[in-house]
Amino acid sequence: MLSTEVVIIGGGATGAGILRDLSMRGIQAILVERGDLGCGTSSRFHGLLHSGARYAVKDKHAAVECIEENTILRRIGKHCVEPINSIFIRTKEDDESYEEKWLKACLDAGISTKALSLNELFSLEPNVSRNVQSAYMCPGAAIDSFRLLWQIFDSAKRYGGKTITYHNVVSIDSSSGRVHGVTIEDVRTHERKKIACSYLISAAGPWCGEIAAKAGLSLKVIPSKGSLIAFNHRICHNVIHRLHKPADADIFVPHGTVTILGTTSINSSPDDNSTSQEEVKSMLEIGKATFENIYDYRILRVFAGCRPLYSADENVSGRNASRDFVAIDHEKDGLSGFMSVCGGKFTTHRLMAQKVCDIVAPKLGCQKHCQTAEIPLIEEPSSDLINRAKKVFPSYSSRLCQDRQGPERFAKILSNIEQNPNQGELICECENVTKAEIESVALEPTTHSISDVRRRTRLGMGTCQGTFCTYRAVGTVKRLKCDWAEDTSSLFKEFLEARWKGIRPVMWGNQMRDVELARGIYEVSLNINHEGEKDE
Amino acid sequence: MTLIKTENPDQCISCNICLTACPVAKATLRYRGPKLTGPALSRLRKLVDDEDNMLKYCSNCKNCERVCPSGTPIASLNMKARANYFKTHKHDLADHILSNNEFIGKTLTKIPFLPMIANQTMHIGQKLKALDIVGLSSKAPLPQYAKEDFYSIYKKYQQPACEKKVLFYPGCYVNYNEPQIGIDLIKVFNHQGIEVVVDPNFKCCGSPLISTGFLDKVENLAKHNTKLLKSYAEKGFDIITTCTTCALILKQEYRELFNLDETVKSYAPRLYDALEYLCLLDEEGKLKQDFKPLDQEVIYHTPCHLKVQGYGRPVFKLLPKIPGLSIEDANAGCCGLSGVYGYKKETSKIARIVGSELKAKIRNSKASLGICECNICRLQMQNGTGKKAVHPLRLICKSYFPSDK
Repeated sequence: MLSTEVVIIGGGATGAGILRDLSMRGIQAILVERGDLGCGTSSRFHGLLHSGARYAVKDKHAAVECIEENTILRRIGKHCVEPINSIFIRTKEDDESYEEKWLKACLDAGISTKALSLNELFSLEPNVSRNVQSAYMCPGAAIDSFRLLWQIFDSAKRYGGKTITYHNVVSIDSSSGRVHGVTIEDVRTHERKKIACSYLISAAGPWCGEIAAKAGLSLKVIPSKGSLIAFNHRICHNVIHRLHKPADADIFVPHGTVTILGTTSINSSPDDNSTSQEEVKSMLEIGKATFENIYDYRILRVFAGCRPLYSADENVSGRNASRDFVAIDHEKDGLSGFMSVCGGKFTTHRLMAQKVCDIVAPKLGCQKHCQTAEIPLIEEPSSDLINRAKKVFPSYSSRLCQDRQGPERFAKILSNIEQNPNQGELICECENVTKAEIESVALEPTTHSISDVRRRTRLGMGTCQGTFCTYRAVGTVKRLKCDWAEDTSSLFKEFLEARWKGIRPVMWGNQMRDVELARGIYEVSLNINHEGEKDE
Repeated sequence: MTLIKTENPDQCISCNICLTACPVAKATLRYRGPKLTGPALSRLRKLVDDEDNMLKYCSNCKNCERVCPSGTPIASLNMKARANYFKTHKHDLADHILSNNEFIGKTLTKIPFLPMIANQTMHIGQKLKALDIVGLSSKAPLPQYAKEDFYSIYKKYQQPACEKKVLFYPGCYVNYNEPQIGIDLIKVFNHQGIEVVVDPNFKCCGSPLISTGFLDKVENLAKHNTKLLKSYAEKGFDIITTCTTCALILKQEYRELFNLDETVKSYAPRLYDALEYLCLLDEEGKLKQDFKPLDQEVIYHTPCHLKVQGYGRPVFKLLPKIPGLSIEDANAGCCGLSGVYGYKKETSKIARIVGSELKAKIRNSKASLGICECNICRLQMQNGTGKKAVHPLRLICKSYFPSDK
């Protein structure tokens, strides 16, 4: 039986942050995730590293936390953050009187707001609507959630933190009012095992209620679904916000090769990550105030995530619910050694983890302080490594690979290409992912599907949405003889279905043509559904 | 504020058809093809900066755009990327020399004997491989400069009084290298009862500047030329070109590169290639049919920039009217020279590989003469084949006026 001091349930930002924090304090911890790392709420947002300006008027406390954490993440998570800015624009549709309140609130919270003349704005952002009345620049940025999470786990691992993915929590084991372990089950093999622990932290986000129920407790989490639209290219260079009271579809984040428009706020169930065509249409209508030519930009796909909003007041929901986090010590419910953490924002996940660990660590007799804000997640690659890479990587791919994979994996990928230039061939031409990088990720113990490879490389996340890279990737992993890559037919289906799920609500124009091309390749040429074979 | 359009790769659905039509990708594995270099990498260029080895390989022949089922301006995305690249990276000397075609042409043809000396010097320079030093190929066929520029000849030329007038945009090559094409055009058009008007205020279309990445300079040329063309179109003039590249740039590429849609739309439907225009006259029954026999076998090469424009191949409607003339279709893809592409040392080798099929066809053909509308293609057709190549207007002119030199 596995044994550890702390078990953390949930491999999102909160759980990752707690794992790293505890590990750095020298506390043994195992994190259990039911799917892949960061496949839930923590990757299903627009990838905005808040400056706090959005919350400044309504919630000064949250705004101050945001700007502090923003500064910390830019430092420790340098390879996950695109150091751009946020531009707040007030359009003709926005309340003029809000601007003054907002400026004062930002000043109070310590968030810089640099006024931009309209000429400055349009030269920085030529696609922004000409209806803008005023514009300010704040220190918001874009952050890659998959990458950040993986780098947090890598960092935690160096301090002894362990993760177990693709395992469901079957039961929370307790006796005499005290948690002493959990029973988990392998999602694929259904094999069960127990982990003994002294303390259990549920960081399951919108699923916190379900986890608490396994201990016979009731916890009210309001899953609030937010939908997002990914456009095919960067239509702006900086994050563009509407300068008004936070509302739907008012943030555009240039994120990697794409731009993400978010979001909505609809009460939902935690497993619902669907988006309707109506939702997309209404978001575009609102988005038109920011980019007047929004209908000229091609939509790649849509996705949705559930915010785990917690409110003691059952009548509060959606945008009225606080974005602050809560740590509920279930000792008050008669079960000690168990804490649920929910709510909060991606931007402040590190601080949340720090606060939780400051409570939990002393309970375990550990008096060490939090160090997560000081030590970078990954080390800087050497200049020798960077220069060598430039010689053999295809253009525009070495920096991306280095940022995604960190110096150790990057060095291995590089020497692989140096030894065999064919390993530098691009498997994914839209996101510039080399064969060597795909192989490196495919061989990681946490990888069990092409979608897992995708989350660590951006494979299939570009223009063709898997049309050309899926068969190349499947062929590549098959030759590696990974245990999970035997049944190629199901690899195809799992990956393509996941891609098409996000395309269905936006199947018009070029996206429709793209899907038809993909169908032609997979359903006709490759006949992955084995149509007609039974007739013979 | 700049008129240069921001890159929008959204039309591309990554189908890769362009890769199958790209002559450069066929010639070298070092080029990853139009889709990757154009639309795909334009998304990444907005994200990271890097050394971009792919950019120099695109010859802007535009075969990718011809086959694209989505109407993506692939080559123009490449050219924009090239221009952006050189905002932060240094041009080589060859770029500066090759992009100054108009200035060099103007200067040389204004001074007596200078063109001859220049032609000779360039020839010697090439022989001694001195051109290698500045990054120019010593194997590419250099254009020769004319003794007198086309405008000067035109001014002295007496045209008969005609009711109908067309505007002729000669472009740099006719103007400074081969004025004969312009003269042939005037003779042939006058024969149809059409007077040819030439306006010395027009400037270079900008093709060499586009290829070498000086897009901001092209922007000024585009502004100037489109405004002037619009004014002629509004006066009811049809506009004639003999250079397929000039035509393509004036009609299509200005729109792909710059926010000039409305201005270009105002004249583009009135802009014709000379042979295309003669074909239209023929369809209306207005083309003079007094073609005299020419006992000759010729081989025709279709320029890429003509194919892209999609008006068919007027040569095969007009030249068969000439009795005794037999025309072979070379059907050998791209000539490879593609303007400055074949002159730059680093791409000239690829240009030679691309053009090898065409040259072999010409060499092995029974035909004694090559014909082609494109000035640059013709240089490649002559290079090392031992056969001369002329603009098809030359044959039409010879057929109408056999006593002419």
